[in-house]
Amino acid sequence: MEKIIFKKFQIESKTFWMMFFGLGFVILIGYLCSHYMETEGHYVTGMNNQIVWGLPHIFAVLLIVIASGVLNIASISSVFDKKLYKPLAPLSALLAMAFLISGLAILVLDLGRPDRLIVAMTTYNFKSIFAWNIFLYSGFAGILAIYIWTMLDRNVNKFSRPAGIFAFTWRIVLTTGTGSIFGFLISREAYGTAILAPLFIIMSLLYGTVVYFLIVKAINYFQKTLFSEEILQNLRKLTLLFLFANLYFLILYHVTNLYISKHLEFEKFILLNGGVYTIAFWVGQVVIGLILPLYILFRDENKSESSLMSATLLILVGSFLAMYVIIIAGQAYPLKMFTNYEILESSFYDNVIHTYIPTIWELGLGLGGVALSLIIVLIGIANLDFLPTVIKSPEAKKAVGSDS
Amino acid sequence: MTIDTKLSRRGFIVKSISLLSTVYFIPDIITSAQAAKPLNEEVNSDTKWAMSIDVDKCAKGCTACVDACVEENGLYGFDRPETDSQWIRKLTIKDIKTDKVKVVPMLCQHCENPPCCDVCPTGASFRRVDGIVMVNQHTCIGCRYCMMACPFKARSFVHENLTEQVTTAPRGKGCVESCNFCVNRIDHGIPTTACEEACMKEGHKAISFGDLSDPNSRVSQALKTKQNRRLRADLSLKQRVTYSNI
Amino acid sequence: MYQLAIRLLLLIIFLISPDIYSHDGINHSIKGKSKADDATQCVEPTEIMQKEHFVFLYHQRDKTVINGLRTKNHSFANCIDCHVSYDEVGEPIPINSEGQFCQTCHIQTAVNIDCFSCHASVPRGRKPEAHISLNYNHSHDHVSKEIEKLVSYVEGAK
Repeated sequence: MEKIIFKKFQIESKTFWMMFFGLGFVILIGYLCSHYMETEGHYVTGMNNQIVWGLPHIFAVLLIVIASGVLNIASISSVFDKKLYKPLAPLSALLAMAFLISGLAILVLDLGRPDRLIVAMTTYNFKSIFAWNIFLYSGFAGILAIYIWTMLDRNVNKFSRPAGIFAFTWRIVLTTGTGSIFGFLISREAYGTAILAPLFIIMSLLYGTVVYFLIVKAINYFQKTLFSEEILQNLRKLTLLFLFANLYFLILYHVTNLYISKHLEFEKFILLNGGVYTIAFWVGQVVIGLILPLYILFRDENKSESSLMSATLLILVGSFLAMYVIIIAGQAYPLKMFTNYEILESSFYDNVIHTYIPTIWELGLGLGGVALSLIIVLIGIANLDFLPTVIKSPEAKKAVGSDS
Repeated sequence: MTIDTKLSRRGFIVKSISLLSTVYFIPDIITSAQAAKPLNEEVNSDTKWAMSIDVDKCAKGCTACVDACVEENGLYGFDRPETDSQWIRKLTIKDIKTDKVKVVPMLCQHCENPPCCDVCPTGASFRRVDGIVMVNQHTCIGCRYCMMACPFKARSFVHENLTEQVTTAPRGKGCVESCNFCVNRIDHGIPTTACEEACMKEGHKAISFGDLSDPNSRVSQALKTKQNRRLRADLSLKQRVTYSNI
Repeated sequence: MYQLAIRLLLLIIFLISPDIYSHDGINHSIKGKSKADDATQCVEPTEIMQKEHFVFLYHQRDKTVINGLRTKNHSFANCIDCHVSYDEVGEPIPINSEGQFCQTCHIQTAVNIDCFSCHASVPRGRKPEAHISLNYNHSHDHVSKEIEKLVSYVEGAK
């Protein structure tokens, strides 16, 4: 069996500290923003009684979805026993942990009473999918820690496969749980369908894969050892596959809604006359997030890295807008309280399509969360042996092995 | 100064009929008094609080119920209608087929299967055994998931620091709140909500509140005389607030 | 060793000093006058109240919110009603403001209280036990009009 040598991030001390303090500064800003929101109350944000979940939730859900998806690489290596991916597995688990923690941090800091976190951790209503998610998230963090340990410590290396399988199962359940947060909302026409759960899983796989690619490229910028051509081609194939799957589930979701006559009005709103939401859907979620990347990946005959990179960036922009459409547009469409009546007037905006204009505070909190995930990754790879020094395809490694 | 104590014939008829009318109203109050529980007793499921709203009696332009609710629960706002709390509000609605316009008060519907309680992660949103759906603000963490789940937009999130709360209705920043059928009144043996009281004082009597298990309560009477409907019956939430003439 | 003993002694003296138990039945530091000033004892013996008031409050709080128990003895509204001080013009002073009943101890023991972000810190609004009867003023008007009609009908028939 060939040995993979894992090492710490080889980076100049100056560069490390610059990145560290840069990210730390963004985190500090994020924390101050959340502190301001907490002491003043949420009226300083763009959120209100109509749009109750806003930008922080877009960031948080996106980060959690990415966290689940980025573990994909480790899953392929451990669960499906692909040797090629083995060197990349520990980093994948670290990324999952980092994104999960930061997603949760944003969620918690946006609570009306973040000081009552202890209540959230000790009082449970087991009928609530949200309460289950608290378990799923904290459990996932614990399992990831064990999984990383089994991968990095040679003494317990033999347990890495069962740990990986367990982590894989758990994260499928976790993303199902995240999707179900919306899927179980029967009252809102945008949600209340179980298709949201598989849609979220597919989204997580897609976003996780491209984020993984992006992070590895960033590390590669400082330390050119990581990517073999073969892995690159595999990531490209995976991205293509997930793009198709995503498109398929998105179509399925909307076609299903079109057939549920109760949801027909909402579908018209999203697909045709929803103004900014319709634009965000078609231009953002569909064209930028799915069609253009597909086009770029297909058209590039050379299968170059740069085409994958541009697809990645487009997918990430699309991912953000997809969350915007799911979370904000879903709330913007007014509730239908009466079957035979149309609401003419209300002091509580029951008859209007709500608008949401986020403020700097929410944006600060969201960006702080992203910075938190990056700083966790930075500290992780700089202090523990996460990065494989040499990655070659198994054939190449075999050759090396037979030589020695 | 002399006081005419002699009862005229006309006066006699007036008084006797008035007396009859008083007697007519008394049963309400007596049965309510019986329904009231002692302060040291816990609520039980024998009592089933409910409300019936006769939409045809609800007057256009009248906001008595809303004003009474604001006063009872200290729901003063900050002139920021998008973030200020509303526990009860009036909607103007139009029949899609006949174009007939009606006004209707909208408040927490106190479902027997409340979606808000199902989704609440800490169980702060709960249904009291006597049917009142309310928020335990000691354990509410302000996640607003219940607001996402409610089909009637009955809940409000307290968006800013409050200082002028009333003793009988504690409420504060960072928690979600909604109509609780004036739970403080009910527990102190006053079986009428502020909105019902106000509606009666205005003489509209559109709102009837009371205990469903008491056949003489105002709500039971209202349910007997008119066919009541639940909003969004497709969701099978079994609301305790029902509407007639809608 | 000697120094340590002195320090320990000082600490003990500090801990048992009456400063900590500022409310010992005498109104010494609190501005204004409250109903409790005239009472000899709270709902439980003073010593127990000093140490365990929050236990009572927590206990009753869940019983009240979840089970609708409204007994007066450990009711938070009642605590405030009795312990809130009134200034010269008879205006209640928020009980959590500096130098008032709650805050004198809680500042000293550095225990932050979160009660008053939601609960009224002075008695405000309707009294919980206030009597409300359904007032049929207008309906009476309505009824008396009907009666008038009836009377005139009866009289007219004569």
